Amino acid sequence: MTNTQPDLAVAGLGVVAGAQPDRSQRMMAAEAARLAIADAGLQISDIDGAVDLRRTGGGGDRGSYSDAFTRVLGLPANFYFVIGRGGALAGLGIAAAASFLQRGLAKHVVLVGAVDDWSKSQRTKAQGHRGMAHAEKEGYWGKPLGDLRAASHHSWMAARHMAVFGTTSEQLGAISVQQRAWACLNPEAKMYGRPMTIEDHQNSPMVVEPYHLFDISQVSDGAIAFVLTTKERARDLAKPSVEVLGQGFGEVAADIWWEKKNFTQMAVHNAKKQAFAESGLGLSDIDVAELYDCFTAEVLFQLEDYGWCEKGEGGRFVADGNIGPGGSIPTNTGGGLLSCYHLGDLTGFAEAVRQVRGEAGDRQVPDCEVALSTGHGGELVSPGMCSIHTTTLLGKAA
Amino acid sequence: MVSTEEQTPAQSAPAEWNKPWPNIDKDSEEFWDGFTRHELLLWTCSTCSAQYWPKTYCIKHENEPWAANMSWQPSSGQGKLFAFNVHHWAFHPGFKDEVPYTYALVELDEGPLISSTMVGRMPSNADVGKPVKVVFEDHPEHGFSLPHFTLIDD
Repeated sequence: MTNTQPDLAVAGLGVVAGAQPDRSQRMMAAEAARLAIADAGLQISDIDGAVDLRRTGGGGDRGSYSDAFTRVLGLPANFYFVIGRGGALAGLGIAAAASFLQRGLAKHVVLVGAVDDWSKSQRTKAQGHRGMAHAEKEGYWGKPLGDLRAASHHSWMAARHMAVFGTTSEQLGAISVQQRAWACLNPEAKMYGRPMTIEDHQNSPMVVEPYHLFDISQVSDGAIAFVLTTKERARDLAKPSVEVLGQGFGEVAADIWWEKKNFTQMAVHNAKKQAFAESGLGLSDIDVAELYDCFTAEVLFQLEDYGWCEKGEGGRFVADGNIGPGGSIPTNTGGGLLSCYHLGDLTGFAEAVRQVRGEAGDRQVPDCEVALSTGHGGELVSPGMCSIHTTTLLGKAA
Repeated sequence: MVSTEEQTPAQSAPAEWNKPWPNIDKDSEEFWDGFTRHELLLWTCSTCSAQYWPKTYCIKHENEPWAANMSWQPSSGQGKLFAFNVHHWAFHPGFKDEVPYTYALVELDEGPLISSTMVGRMPSNADVGKPVKVVFEDHPEHGFSLPHFTLIDD
């Protein structure tokens, strides 16, 4: 352990999962925050800061709804703000809240993200859209041409990896199948009790070739909240402290935005370097990997980019069963976005906290000391790249 | 930099356009105008001739204010197929009659990557890296043209 690790720990976790057709995002957020505060053994009156994790936060907008969860829950927070970029929520939220905690401007910060995508998708289906109606940012290029949704451009990354390295759809399917095996050990997962085979994957409808339906993440309702505080405070609270060992950040735009390798890699390089340096840890220290998995190929890329296998070898690596239960690097152990639920990187982050605490039930990875949680996403970087990558390493208190 | 102009076509143009409107903003207006003349323009540096898409400051040297050394110049309109996908689902109702359609990422001969729908012969994986050229779909009643790409088969 080096002394450059941040003085940060996760003290409480609150999860609202499953379809919530009758509930607003702010009510889901308020309930998850209430659960997280109670989980830590704290009172609402102990919370002096609040962060709203929104996919649109990086646009600099106000919160995307009025009357935020802080007012609903009666939180006496001295500050409340919105941060997040696509699926990069927990990683950015921790980095932002850290400033308040480490300068003594707050003692306990609650961070929460909520989505009602499933309920919204049920409404927009009636208007003829397939899934959610989707507004893209100013400057987005391809919409009138048919580049309509994340699957429209993310599928190029899978297609390019296939063209360059010979990766196959069955190999991508091995990711879905192994994550589904994890989900079948997680009663909270949408796909609990519904095991999948490679044949099921291959027989699932083609959505945007090369992606079958089972290469694509869930559309979900729900909310996840956590309480962030300093290490010393966390040690005195109700649950085992989960410490933030290190973080790092990367952007494809920093790597020259037309770098064509960005269609067979993600912006992992700098994020990984920073997080390993700050934590004093390396790849072999990681017991569980919660890799952002909006689509199957993102998992494949990260397995290569972090170094569990060589670039181009990811297809064979996953086909050999390395990421499922009993595999060499247990990955997306709650089922992930593909088989559990899609609350951005909060899905994997919550699972990482549970694994480090030893609270993961039938899917608990033995002796889990260190978990990796990654975030990814944001507005499209022309002509088809998702920009940010966040690395967060969590571990047991020393 | 936030513009509200992009929302006006939806209110004023004829109703029969049933797809999303082109997202034309202050940085891309000249580029979209090029399509109506059947030109694929690239953002070109007068100092070093480097070519970009979309608009950017030249990364190869110090820039004049507002990237004044840059302008939109015609490209060859040719490139190579970099990657493609096939949309089997119409995410937007305006594409219901077009699925399955092939959407491609093209590496232009000048360097930048750009994307659009393929027309003509549909590619297979063996066509990745093969030459393509831009073709245009004109909509003068709406004031814009759309670019597509097609394989150059010889």
